[in-house]
Amino acid sequence: MALTLGFHIVFACFGVGLPVLLLVAEGRYLRTRDEGWRIIARRWSKCFGVLFAVGAVSGTVLSFELGLLWPDFMGTFGSVIGLPFTMEAFAFFLEAIFVGIYIYTWDRLPPQAHWLSAIPIAIAGIASAAFVVTANAWMNCPQGFLLVGGKVVYAEPLRAMLNPASGPQVVHMIFAAGLVAGFGVASVYAVGILRGKDSPHRRRALALGLAMGAICAPLQAISGDWAARIVARTQPVKFAAMEGQFRTQARAPLRLGGLPDSEAETTRFALEIPGGLSWLAFGDPDAIVNGLDRVPRGDRPPVAVVHLAFQAMVGAGVALLALSAWVGGTLVFRKRLPRGRVFLWWVALAGPLAAMALEAGWVVTEVGRQPWIVQGILRTRNAVTDAPGVGWVFAAALAIYSALTAATIVALRHLARK
Amino acid sequence: MEPEIILIGVMTAGVTLYALMGGADFGAGVWEFNTALRSGEKERALIYRAIGPVWEANHVWLIFVLVALFSGFPPAFAALSRALWVPLLLALLGIVFRGVGFAFRSYAADSVRSKTLWGAVFALASTAAPFFLGASVGAIASGKLEVSSDGGYSGDHLTGWINPVSIFCAFFGVGICAYLAAAYLTREARNEGDAALTEIWRRRAIVTGLWMGLLSAAGLAIIATSAPALWEGFKERAWPAVLTSLGAGSFSIIALWRRRFTGAALGAAVTVGAVVVGWGLAQYPALIPPEITLHGARAPREVLWTFLGVIAAGSLLVVPSLVLLLVLFKGKRPEDA
Repeated sequence: MALTLGFHIVFACFGVGLPVLLLVAEGRYLRTRDEGWRIIARRWSKCFGVLFAVGAVSGTVLSFELGLLWPDFMGTFGSVIGLPFTMEAFAFFLEAIFVGIYIYTWDRLPPQAHWLSAIPIAIAGIASAAFVVTANAWMNCPQGFLLVGGKVVYAEPLRAMLNPASGPQVVHMIFAAGLVAGFGVASVYAVGILRGKDSPHRRRALALGLAMGAICAPLQAISGDWAARIVARTQPVKFAAMEGQFRTQARAPLRLGGLPDSEAETTRFALEIPGGLSWLAFGDPDAIVNGLDRVPRGDRPPVAVVHLAFQAMVGAGVALLALSAWVGGTLVFRKRLPRGRVFLWWVALAGPLAAMALEAGWVVTEVGRQPWIVQGILRTRNAVTDAPGVGWVFAAALAIYSALTAATIVALRHLARK
Repeated sequence: MEPEIILIGVMTAGVTLYALMGGADFGAGVWEFNTALRSGEKERALIYRAIGPVWEANHVWLIFVLVALFSGFPPAFAALSRALWVPLLLALLGIVFRGVGFAFRSYAADSVRSKTLWGAVFALASTAAPFFLGASVGAIASGKLEVSSDGGYSGDHLTGWINPVSIFCAFFGVGICAYLAAAYLTREARNEGDAALTEIWRRRAIVTGLWMGLLSAAGLAIIATSAPALWEGFKERAWPAVLTSLGAGSFSIIALWRRRFTGAALGAAVTVGAVVVGWGLAQYPALIPPEITLHGARAPREVLWTFLGVIAAGSLLVVPSLVLLLVLFKGKRPEDA
């Protein structure tokens, strides 16, 4: 399941981000009548076709897996969290319908109408991401139901959907999608230019992807700060694990780097900024931050994994933010994009960095919640299936996804060469 | 009216539409599988052109039904996942590789070798998916799954789903898809003005239709002998659906014979739709017979009403879009007129 999600999340990001890029590129064509933009949009729409198809099937795998791997979880809470999935199904419906129309009517519809058909794709893509993420947010902040003897006797699915974690998680996810898709596209072209295949066309495509990534990066930093504050209040244990905070203390330091040692209950080798964590989480350098010592050892997540993943995400985010600042600064003062190989290398790395930050962020929220699958309500080991076939399901998923990844890369490389 | 009745009605409609639209897409792959060595490039091109724009939308019906099942009837979803994990996993493999095979072949493959490879993946997976989905449906309908009303399962984890009805339904599922695809593709070939291709598909549709008629009769015999409860349901409630299916099936074959291809396609759709609805009626009010019923497995009523509200609102957006899609790609194109 983790594997499937980790895979799906990358494709889903392109599903959310690419339509926006398509809209802009084709919109530029409509405005300027410059065939170059149309060629870019058309080429991207083919890549989008492949990525959407792979995203759609891996999403299907997920909806089956919910039952195959977590029958107890779904049997108990299906009625509580079904609502966002139902909404997502409709958003996906719209997306699939208009993807069909968009990809197959380049030559049949008038240009304006064709451009319009991409708008529902972009909206539905963003909406479906938002809906699904509320279901995950609910696992972090469960509410809106009444449990009697292990059975849900009353539920308010809307209240479950609108839990406190939903807002920041949804926003954080959507900007993440913008980062991954924007920098991902830009880095493909940067690699091409670095290999000596420079052309105005490539420069233009790179600039468009870069623009989306660079706009999303600072917004993502702000949403990340918001998300962290909410986690500090609603999931103190996860927050402590993220920051490697073992002891409950006032004036908690902000740790940069460091290796948490769960046995000794300390985080070593970290650069500490006194009071930094208290200030970031609660706006007061003297505020008390709950540590992992608030819960028994058995109820703690694997601290080292969570802390390192969190550091990796923040580190990657800072690198992307710096790139964004460089681009923004050069644009404002010199009215052009930065030049030179260092810049191109940075852009080339930005795509993989954004994807890594995405995966790391996902590790933080999922591993950070362990040993719970529904925070404070249901433990992961009680929710996982008792069927003897789990190993097979897992092996099959692994095989499917290795094949899919390889095939997608081959297909996209092939498209890129044309 | 009770919300669970409305919801199961909506879900039955979803399964029916999945069978009619998604089924035909699988069917096209079944044909490619069966005629791999003989079919020409033109024939394949028709298949790929016909399903290209619509298969992803058609596929969403399955997701919709799954989501509605786990939202509205959570224990039933849990029980099915436990009891049917083998056929569902195999169907899932089929669904995944069908989609991937199709997408890579049409968007990314240029060389003959990669086209052949992805085409083969598409064809094989398209056949496996309805086979195992059919088996799952058959296993449910047979009433032989040892599920309990709280979503537990006490049967054999590997082989509990295998029985005469499920095996029959597996083949029947593939047959349904092939029949629908042949009936629809006859019409598409005519719309493209290709007389030779129309003739090929017309012949295939008629032959498959006749075989499916025979197979259906055999199926009723199997149900009568090995799934008595389902048989009672057919005798009591579902016989009008059986008659409808018989009538529409005969109509579609006659229409094919007389070259009324739009009528034939619609007739084939009604034939298959009646089979799905008939299955639903025959086992009503059981969701997974014998233990799990609509009323026992439903989520709290106020939750169901919320879902129904969302479904109604979502339909307002989706139905017009779907009509637009079908008009654009399945209506008569201006250049053919």
